[in-house]
Amino acid sequence: MDDARRAKLRDWLRGATGAADIELGAMSLLSGGAIQQNWALDVTLAGRGEAWVLRTDNAATLAVSLPRSAEFALLKAAFAAGVTVPEPLFLCDDTGVLGAPFFIMRRVQGIAAGHRVVKSETLCGGRDTAVRALGRELARIHRITPPRADLAFLGAPLDDACLTFVAEQRRALDRQALPRPVLEWGLRHLERTAPPPLPPVLNHNDFRTGNLMLAEAGVTAVLDWEFAAWGEPHADLGWFCAKCWRFGSAYEAGGIGGRDSFYAGYAAEAGQAVDAARVTWWELAAHIRWAVIAIDQAARHLSGKETSLELALTGHIVPELEWEILNMTGVPHAA
Amino acid sequence: MQREAPEGPSLLATARDALLQEILPKLSGTDAFTARMIANAMAIAAREAVQDDAWMEETRTTMQRLTGTTDAPDRALAAAIRAGAFDPGSAHHAEVVALLREATRMRCAISAPRVLGKG
Repeated sequence: MDDARRAKLRDWLRGATGAADIELGAMSLLSGGAIQQNWALDVTLAGRGEAWVLRTDNAATLAVSLPRSAEFALLKAAFAAGVTVPEPLFLCDDTGVLGAPFFIMRRVQGIAAGHRVVKSETLCGGRDTAVRALGRELARIHRITPPRADLAFLGAPLDDACLTFVAEQRRALDRQALPRPVLEWGLRHLERTAPPPLPPVLNHNDFRTGNLMLAEAGVTAVLDWEFAAWGEPHADLGWFCAKCWRFGSAYEAGGIGGRDSFYAGYAAEAGQAVDAARVTWWELAAHIRWAVIAIDQAARHLSGKETSLELALTGHIVPELEWEILNMTGVPHAA
Repeated sequence: MQREAPEGPSLLATARDALLQEILPKLSGTDAFTARMIANAMAIAAREAVQDDAWMEETRTTMQRLTGTTDAPDRALAAAIRAGAFDPGSAHHAEVVALLREATRMRCAISAPRVLGKG
């Protein structure tokens, strides 16, 4: 970030914090995701050191992702509901400051990178306690239910989250360049086997290893709220447990721990048992959803608008997702 | 006269080994991640270069037969699956199952041989 932007940021923060005495220290890019950028920002506020994260948009954003202001409101709602999230501090909708909206949250310590988390035997006190704690976090998220004036941007809840999922994915496929018979196969299976609707809850919609920050002592943050929406609780449980988010680990709950312990943690906090058959339905849905996102990401590269090796390789995840979709719909291996 | 050897797949394999064994150990963080992505892309390209493409034409012929459509039979197949025409219990269910599995196997052979127990 250049000096002119830093100066603008400092002036804006002076207004937001009400502190005349504010100094910006080092800034470094923590992660350049496909969608967002996170900057570590050290600030001295009235003589006291603060460790913050500045989160802003990347050059290209997915149409389905929520704006920063919405993500900020979700963080506030989650923080109030007792979910372990970085405390949200300030929101800036004025693109005149950094060129894109951004918000500031407290910086928390821990490890989120999926390939590291699934290898650890000690994070959160071990695999079993880790997935129990994560189950409890998810149950707290699901305590946020509509209607909520502060989350009005989420729109009205769906009458039927399962069938709406099928319809939305089909619309997404219709927007894409190539037909996808295997994804259609999976969606038709979901349509035929959809369970009846449940009362709506807040879905995080990206609650999975890689977006969950863990330390030795426990969960330190549930990150990346930009896909949150009203939905069905098992959608998040299925996304977390789906094989495509286990980072090659054999542990069924996010590659971190056992499925039973994850369900037990969830049930203890939610006050009701997990419906395993619904989770299975949503695990198939997870593979389809990830495949559709991966195709969209590769399309950004293919369009020439955003040449990127990472986006290009994301497209090559699709065949293995299709392989798993066939497995999950009962297609035998031997043709 | 022919092209000068070594050809593409061999060059890619040798270059990939150099990247992984000589360059990668000297890298860390984002650079190491990028190097691994480059190695992955080279492996995909090398597998693609040697795959027999016949399966795509065979798949197309089968899709044409199953859908009765000459142009864009993959689009017709996708639409028919969506409409439930190949649901369990339908006349051509087993043939569609076999087609999808085989085409996906060939796609995975390039993009993710690991799931086939290879690579």
